[in-house]
Amino acid sequence: MKTRNLTLNIWTGGSITTFFILCSATSLLWTPFDPNYVDTTKISLGFGESGHLLGTDVVGRDLLSGLLTGARMSVFLGCVTAAISVVLGTLFAFIAVGISPWVDEVVMRLLDVLMAVPGVIIALVVATVSGPSAMSTVIVLSVFFAPVIARVVRSATLPILNEDFVQSARIYGRGTFFVLFRHVLPNIFSILVVQFSLYTANAVLAESGLSYLGVGISRPQISWGTLLKEAQETVGPTTGLMLWPATVILVFVLGMNLLGDGLRDVFDPRSTGKRS
Amino acid sequence: MIVFLTRRFAFFILSVLATSGLIFLLVRLLGGSPASVLLGEFSTPEDVLALEKQLGLHRPLVVQYGEWMSEIARGDFGTSFYSGIELEALLKSALPVSVSLSVGALLVGLLIGIPFGIASALRSFEGKGASVDFISQIGIALPIFWSGAVLSLIFGVRLGWFPTGGWVPWSDDPAATLRHLVLPSVTLGIGIGSVLSRFIRTAIVEVMRQDFVRTGRAFGMSVQESLFVVGLRNAALPVVTVLGNLVSHLVGGTVLTETLFSMPGLSRMILGAVVGRDIFVVQNLVMLLILYVLVVNLIVDVSYYLLDKRLRV
Repeated sequence: MKTRNLTLNIWTGGSITTFFILCSATSLLWTPFDPNYVDTTKISLGFGESGHLLGTDVVGRDLLSGLLTGARMSVFLGCVTAAISVVLGTLFAFIAVGISPWVDEVVMRLLDVLMAVPGVIIALVVATVSGPSAMSTVIVLSVFFAPVIARVVRSATLPILNEDFVQSARIYGRGTFFVLFRHVLPNIFSILVVQFSLYTANAVLAESGLSYLGVGISRPQISWGTLLKEAQETVGPTTGLMLWPATVILVFVLGMNLLGDGLRDVFDPRSTGKRS
Repeated sequence: MIVFLTRRFAFFILSVLATSGLIFLLVRLLGGSPASVLLGEFSTPEDVLALEKQLGLHRPLVVQYGEWMSEIARGDFGTSFYSGIELEALLKSALPVSVSLSVGALLVGLLIGIPFGIASALRSFEGKGASVDFISQIGIALPIFWSGAVLSLIFGVRLGWFPTGGWVPWSDDPAATLRHLVLPSVTLGIGIGSVLSRFIRTAIVEVMRQDFVRTGRAFGMSVQESLFVVGLRNAALPVVTVLGNLVSHLVGGTVLTETLFSMPGLSRMILGAVVGRDIFVVQNLVMLLILYVLVVNLIVDVSYYLLDKRLRV
């Protein structure tokens, strides 16, 4: 029962993720139509009409091409944001445990403050001041994801610091940061991989939310959130134009979460397979 | 007790200073001068200088920050740069919308989260927690724009039971207001309920592993009995702390939900100001939201402390 669940999570999550990566790669070389091409003779086509598999929007842009191109942007930004967050989070955690208990206290309290603030709201300030862009989206999201990851990394690091091999490295005269990067990092690597996949899902969700609000990605660049925003502004949320991108986001996020949970179970046989 | 309250309050003050400082610096330093942001791309340097002088932006940052803080503390949220309307007037119409939505979503969240959390904890003792877990997993991954759109499509468009957007003030027709609140509250409440159910489940499982429960079981209590007699009471406390975390989630979600259902709440005010680059309006409204989150967290932590007698020994 247990093992079947494990492999099921990884298989489902893995195939969904692979599918989206393939879609992103395909869109680099080919999309059915140019996603930004306006064709006023083909406005608001339905499902499968005149070669447009998922129809077109109110100015005749092909939805499927938009989704494929959007996959590239959304998945890429999601991965970049997650990668930066994991690196930042690990650095914060290492600084906190590495220097002194006093620094630990200060860093963790500052991270507490960041955790209490909704990142979406700060993203609105940044968008007002510097204009919406992919860059500012990635930076703001990373800054707000990093504290949570830092806590996970910190609590995984502390027990390892008490292990015999770490103690002997210290007695041997190794510096704290040498020990952290040479001995602790390889031991928490699996945790970082799991965090990466969970936060890729979170980042895609957050980015599409921001683009949906009009403070993220906008044309000519396309993310899944951009498509949501256009659907909301033109035909309303109860149409295919909104439901297709929303469903794609849902499937991707679910896939990444399943993959993350599955990987956690494989890496850490002691965990019960459930997040708490 | 005094020590705890002092520490917690000091942390609150630190949070307010840190977040307000962050917002203040973002607004002042990130996009060049706020005056040039307000005047747009085609402003001349002379215009920018004149406006800076008029708004007092030429003074030292510390002085400006102090003035801003004292304005916020006095509840003076300023006026819109473009329309000249006082924010207070706008807030009076927008706040009831956002507050109603948050309360509605929280209620729905509790209604979903508590039964699901208990069911999931019970089933995990019987060795079959997987299906309920999978549901809450989906609930957490569910984007607001997906659940909102699907709910609108089914209950708004197809069945026609509830309006799919807009707002009627409470004073006009409370029944209509409630009808307008149903779909947005459920949309936002699903995510909250899913997170809540996980925390409730963990809290219950933790409690049920305690020695006193095991002793009770050894004396012949059934799983259900032990759960409802001792489990829930002891699991309630950890759940209170989660409510603090959920507020931040709630505020972020409210912005999306209000947009999705075209509700004239706080987020419409903020987004309007963002698009119009009405920089000080954004600054003040965002600070207001963050203060709200921090205050709720403070209240939650203090009440947790007062509720849990073990912490006061």
